[in-house]
Amino acid sequence: MSQASIEVRDLVVRYGAVVAVRGVTFTVGAGEHLTLLGPSGCGKTTTLRAIAGLERPTSGEIRIGGSPVFSSSPAVNVPAERRGLSMVFQSYAIWPHMTVFDNVAYGLRVRRRPEAEVTTRVREALDLVQLGDLGARSASKLSGGQQQRVALARAFVFSPSVLLFDEPLSNLDAKLRAEMRVELKELQRRLDITSVYVTHDLEEALAISDRIVVMRDGVIEQVGTPAEIYDRPRNTFVADFVGSANLIRGRRRPDLERDGLVVIQTPGGALVHGISPDRRVGAEALVAVRTVRLRIDRVRPATPVNVWPARIRQRVFQGDFTQYHIDWEGRQLIVRSAAPEPMAEGDEVFVSVEPRHCVLLEE
Amino acid sequence: MSLPAVTHFERARSWRPGPRLVSLLVGGGAAVLVLYPIAYLIQASLSVGDPQARPPEAYGLANYADLGRYAHIFGNTLLVAAIATVLAVVVGFAMGWILSRTNVPGRAAFEQLMALPYYVTPLMGALAWALIGSPTSGFVNQIWRALGGDGHLIDINTPWGIAWVMALFEGAVAFVMIGAVMKSMDPALEEASQVLGASRLRTMLRITLPLVLPGVLGAAIFVFAEMLGSFSAALVLGLPNRFYVVTTAMYQLVSQYPPRFPTAAAMGVSLFAVMFAMVWVYRRIVSGGSYATITGKAFRPRVMDVGRLRWPFLGICLGYLGVAVILPVLTIVYASFQRLTAAFPRRDNFTLANYATALSLDAVRSALWNSLLLGFATASLGVVLMGFLAWLIYRSRLPGAGLIEYVLMFPQAVPRLVFAFGMLWAWLVFPIPIYGTLWLLLIAYLTVFLPLGLRTISGVILQIDRSLEESAQMCGATWGYRLRTVTMPLLKPGLVAAWLLLFIASVRELGASILLMGPKSKVITPAIVESWFSTSSELTAALALLQTLAVAAALAIMFAVARRAVQAGGE
Repeated sequence: MSQASIEVRDLVVRYGAVVAVRGVTFTVGAGEHLTLLGPSGCGKTTTLRAIAGLERPTSGEIRIGGSPVFSSSPAVNVPAERRGLSMVFQSYAIWPHMTVFDNVAYGLRVRRRPEAEVTTRVREALDLVQLGDLGARSASKLSGGQQQRVALARAFVFSPSVLLFDEPLSNLDAKLRAEMRVELKELQRRLDITSVYVTHDLEEALAISDRIVVMRDGVIEQVGTPAEIYDRPRNTFVADFVGSANLIRGRRRPDLERDGLVVIQTPGGALVHGISPDRRVGAEALVAVRTVRLRIDRVRPATPVNVWPARIRQRVFQGDFTQYHIDWEGRQLIVRSAAPEPMAEGDEVFVSVEPRHCVLLEE
Repeated sequence: MSLPAVTHFERARSWRPGPRLVSLLVGGGAAVLVLYPIAYLIQASLSVGDPQARPPEAYGLANYADLGRYAHIFGNTLLVAAIATVLAVVVGFAMGWILSRTNVPGRAAFEQLMALPYYVTPLMGALAWALIGSPTSGFVNQIWRALGGDGHLIDINTPWGIAWVMALFEGAVAFVMIGAVMKSMDPALEEASQVLGASRLRTMLRITLPLVLPGVLGAAIFVFAEMLGSFSAALVLGLPNRFYVVTTAMYQLVSQYPPRFPTAAAMGVSLFAVMFAMVWVYRRIVSGGSYATITGKAFRPRVMDVGRLRWPFLGICLGYLGVAVILPVLTIVYASFQRLTAAFPRRDNFTLANYATALSLDAVRSALWNSLLLGFATASLGVVLMGFLAWLIYRSRLPGAGLIEYVLMFPQAVPRLVFAFGMLWAWLVFPIPIYGTLWLLLIAYLTVFLPLGLRTISGVILQIDRSLEESAQMCGATWGYRLRTVTMPLLKPGLVAAWLLLFIASVRELGASILLMGPKSKVITPAIVESWFSTSSELTAALALLQTLAVAAALAIMFAVARRAVQAGGE
C-alpha cells in the first residue's frame, strides 16, 4: 500500500473572530499512526479537516508526501478531491440512496477503474471489514456498527496515501466501541497506511496510536508516544485530561536532589521524590501522580523515599478497582487499588509511590 | 528565477473556475431578476410628468402625496386584513390545539386533510361563496326567502364576506404555523409545572400560553401581511359593490383608460413597504431568542384526554373543512351542471352544456394549453434553478450567499400583482420584445415563485448532512460528479415536491398573470375571472373545474411517466 508523510507547519484556522487553530506544527511519518487528542473545541477536528482540504486555513503550510497541498505564501490550495487522501467521518456519511457495494465502490468508480477490478477490490474490502455478504443490501438498512464498517471499507478501498479518521467510534455504544478499537488497530496493521486519527477518548488514543498530539484551545500541549503521554504528562492540562492524577504542590529542594531525582517539599513538610524529564520549572512546582500508581499498605513498606502515613476517609467500590479517598497532609489523595482485600474507612495506612511515577509538571 | 514560474503554475492548478464563477453568475442573475422589476416599480412611482411617458419626464413625490385621496382604500385593506387575520388565527389556533394536543377522533387523518383548504384557492373559494352568499341569487338567501324570510340573510359582497373567504384559506396556513409550534414544545415543560403542584388551568396560562405566544404572534403577522396583498377574493367579491382594496384598486388604475401608472406604482410601493416591514418583524420574532421552545427536536406531544368534549371538537374540525373545502367544491360542481343556478335542484335544470361550451371555445382551449405549458416549463426550469440556488445559499459557503438569499426572498413581501406591475414597466423597455408573450409570464412565474421553490428545496437540503457530500469529495469526486451522484439523488424527494408545488401554483396564478398576459398569450385563471364578470357563473364554474381537472390529469401523467422512467432506469 502507498504511504505518504504529512507536514503541518504554523497552521492557523480562523472563522471570523474565532481562532480555532492557532499555529500548530507537527509531522506524521510515512506509515505512522498519529492521533490528535483533546476536549471538544480544542481544534483537533478543524486541523484534520484542514489536512483533508475541507476547511481552508487562514495561514500556514500543509505538505503531503513532500509536496504542498496548502500554503498561504506562495498561495496554494489543492482541492480535497485531488489530495489523494481518504476520510472516515464521525457521522459515517454513508449514502442512503446506494447499496453497500455502490458506497464502497464509489472511490474506485471516480477513478474510472474497470468494473471487473472494482468488483474484486470491493469484495476484498468488504471481506476485510467482515461484511462480505452484505454488498447488495441498501445502505439505509444497516446498523450503526455495520455503517461504521462500510465507511471504513469505502475509505481504504481505493488505496489512498493517507487515511483520516474523524472520531469514527464516538457514535457507537461502549461495548461495540471497545470491539471496533481492536479491529481498527488490526486493520491499520494490515493496511500499513499513514493515518491521522481524531478523538477525545483517551483509551482509544492510547490503544491505536504510534504517537499522540494533545491539543487544547487550538495549540499543541504535548506530543509523544502513548506511554510518554500517559506516564510523563508535560503539564497540568495533559495530566488531568489523560486519565486521573493527583497533583501535589510544593517547593523545590535542590539541596536534597540525588540520583537524577528531583525533590519537592509540601507545605506540610512531606518530601516527594520524582522525575523531571526536560521540564522547565521554577522554585514552586507541581508533581503529578497517577491514582493507580499509589500503593496503600497497613505496614510500612521498606522503600527509602516517598512513604507517608495517612488515613482512609472514604471507600468507593467500582468493580474493577476500589477508589480510596485518603487524608494526607491536610488534603485528600485519590488512590485506585485493584487489591482483593479492601481496607476499611478510618484505617491508618501507609501511602507509597515509586519516584519514577512522580512527574514534575510545567505550568 | 524559476520560483515565480512555479508559483504561477501552482496557482493555476489550484484555481477552480467551476463552482465559484457559476455560482456568482446564477446567484447574481437571480438577484437581478428580482431587483430589476422593483427598481422600475419605484421609478414609476416617482414619475410626476406625463403619466404615460417612458422614461419619466420629471421625478417627485407628488404621487405619494396624492395617495391621501385614496385613504378609504387603504382603510378598506386594513379592515379586511384585520378581520381575516383574527378569524384565521382563531381557526389556526383552535385547530392546532385540537389536532396536536387533544384526543379528538381521527387526528392523523385531519392533519392530512388540513392541506386541502390550501388547494381550494381563494379564487375558487370566492366564486363558490359568491354563489352561496350573494344577496339576491345566493343559495342561502334563496332558501331563506323560500322559508318565508325577507330580503337576504347573508351578503358576501361586503368586507366581511371577503375576509371570511380569505380567512377560510389562510386558516390552513395559520394552522400549519401554530401547529408546528405546539408540536415542537417539550411536554416536560408542562409536566414540570404540574409536578410542582400547579393546576391544569394554571399550567395552561402560565406555561403553555407564554411558550406558544411568539409562534401565534408570528403566524398572525405573516397572515396579516399575506392578506394585505391578497387579490382574487377582493376582486370577485368586492367589484360588484365597487369595494376596493389596494391590489384591486391598482388593477383598476392600470387597466382603465387612460391608465394611471404612477399612482398605481405609488400604491404598490406603499403596500410593499408595509408588508416588507411586517415580514421583517415576523422574521425577527421567529429567529429571536423568545422562540426558545423550538429546539429542532421532534417531541411526542402530550395528548390530553378531553372526555366528552371530543365530540364538539370533532364538530369544529368537520365544520371548518366543511365551509372551507366541501361546501365550496360541491357548490362549484353543482353550479357547473346547471342551466341557471338555483338552490333547489330541478331535473330539467341539469345540463352538460357548460362543459360543451367551455371546451368548444378556442380561447379557453388555448388558455388552458398555455397554462399547462407554462406550468410545465416553470416547474422544470424552476426546480433546476431553485435547486441550484438553494444549494448555493445553504451549502456552497460562497461569500454573499446570505445577501442573495435575502434578495431572493423579496417576492414573498411583494404582492404578485404589485410585482407584476414592476415587471410590466420593466420589460416594456427591455430590448428583446418579450412583452405580451408567454416568455414574460414564464419569467414572472420563475421570479414570484422563487421563495416558494427555495423554501421547499432548502428544507430538504438542510436535512442532508454536509458530510455526505464531503465524503464524496474525500473519495476524489469532483464538483460536478458529486452533484450528480450524491447531492441530486438525495435531493430527489424535495425536487419532486417542489416541481409539483411550482406546477400547481403556476397553473393557478392570477395576480401576476392578469397584468402580464397579452391578447395572444392568455392563461386560464384570468380567463376564469373574465368569464365570471362577462359571461355566466355556470360557465365559470365549469371552467374552474376544468382547470382543476387539467391540473390533476397533468400530474397523473407526470407521475406515470416518472415511474416508468425510474423502472426503465433499472433498480
